[in-house]
Amino acid sequence: MTFAQAAEKHLDDVYGYLAWFTSDRFAAEELTAETFERALRLWHRFDPQRGSARTWLCQVARTAALDHFRSERRRTRREQLAAVPDRVDATFADGLSPDLESALGALTAGEREVVALRIVLELDTGTAARVLGISATNCTTRLNRALKKLEEALHVAA
Amino acid sequence: MSQRDLAAELHAARVPAPTALRERVRLIAAADRTPTPRRFTWRRALVVVLPVAAAIAASIVFTRPSGHTAQPVVERGIAHGSSTFKAAPAGIAPTLSVPAPSRTRAQRYGADLALRVPNPTRVSDGVKRALRIVRALGGYATSVHATTTGRDAHAELTLKVPRAHVQQAVSQLSALGTITGEQVDVQDLQTGLNSTDRTIARLQQQLKALRSRPASAANDATIAALVARVQKLQRAEASTIRAARYATVQLRLTTPVAKQATAGHGRLHGIVVALTWLGVGLAYALAIGAPLLVLCGLAWLALRTIRRRREDELLSRS
Repeated sequence: MTFAQAAEKHLDDVYGYLAWFTSDRFAAEELTAETFERALRLWHRFDPQRGSARTWLCQVARTAALDHFRSERRRTRREQLAAVPDRVDATFADGLSPDLESALGALTAGEREVVALRIVLELDTGTAARVLGISATNCTTRLNRALKKLEEALHVAA
Repeated sequence: MSQRDLAAELHAARVPAPTALRERVRLIAAADRTPTPRRFTWRRALVVVLPVAAAIAASIVFTRPSGHTAQPVVERGIAHGSSTFKAAPAGIAPTLSVPAPSRTRAQRYGADLALRVPNPTRVSDGVKRALRIVRALGGYATSVHATTTGRDAHAELTLKVPRAHVQQAVSQLSALGTITGEQVDVQDLQTGLNSTDRTIARLQQQLKALRSRPASAANDATIAALVARVQKLQRAEASTIRAARYATVQLRLTTPVAKQATAGHGRLHGIVVALTWLGVGLAYALAIGAPLLVLCGLAWLALRTIRRRREDELLSRS
């Protein structure tokens, strides 16, 4: 598989993951482009025997997103603004109910990330855990906690 | 809403990438000039080549035969009328060709033979055969020492052989076993004898002159002293000539001992030595490297924990 083929095939996955992770579509677009630029530089290191291209691209995307979060935090500190980062666009995806949209807004980035990987991208537990750099058990726990949080938020809203 | 419904709604609401982003990523991908990754990179090749080269080099170094054991070393030195003929052990050495004694000049002839025999019985037989050989050549044994301890045996014989038959004696004795060491010392005594002859002649001329003088107490005393000196020189000369008639042969017979076990190496000895030293090196590397590895591992764990905590803190924000 060439890099162009991998980019074409997994662009939606990478963008969707970053959109959920950052909860900011504009930031997700920038990060997606940066992810593929990084991936192009690192493509010679990609080994298909160690994992799929999608998993590898998600790992690169996660690194880019973490760098983005760190720079955002430094920026907010520098500007002495509130610790809560700016959210230009809090719409996660088209077709979500307003209650669910609101409930998703209450999740942390770490919880949104695991929901994106496990439910939206349908990665299996092991692969998602590898992308997150945690154990499979921890990944499952984190997902259950996020879903329970969403469930409670929806129950309160109802 | 159950978790299953929730998951279904979340999954249905996938976010497609905008067209502008897709075009942008296509442009990025178009710049791909990365060649197909090679399976055998130079780093991977080094991982294989270096240990193999080290093993080959070690094998060559340790299996290389040492040149001094290939051929018997024969040294000959002559100084002040004496000569030494020495043969170093070579495992299997042929019968040594020793220099022939002179028929016209008096010489002190000494030979030293070290032989290896396979078992204690052959040591005992060797002693008996050596005595027979010497007796047959007109010689005799001045000392015989034989020791047997279990599978090891050792015998030392000092033999006197008529100088005229010393070559024959050495040749026959060396056939009793495998030669592991041999030395022949030849010292010329004729020069000393000639000098003694001249001294005696000079003293006898003095005696003749003294005897022709008128008798006196002082003259008689000088004559007596000269006579005594001449007799002493004549006795010494006769003793030297007697000693020169016989050659001294030192014979040692031994069974293979621990020294032999270390001297005879098999074909794989070098590899065994190389592997032994590799093992020693590995043990040292482990002894020194293990604590360092543990420290590095602990440092890595600490750094990972810190990084994860910072990451969790970063991602705990909404």
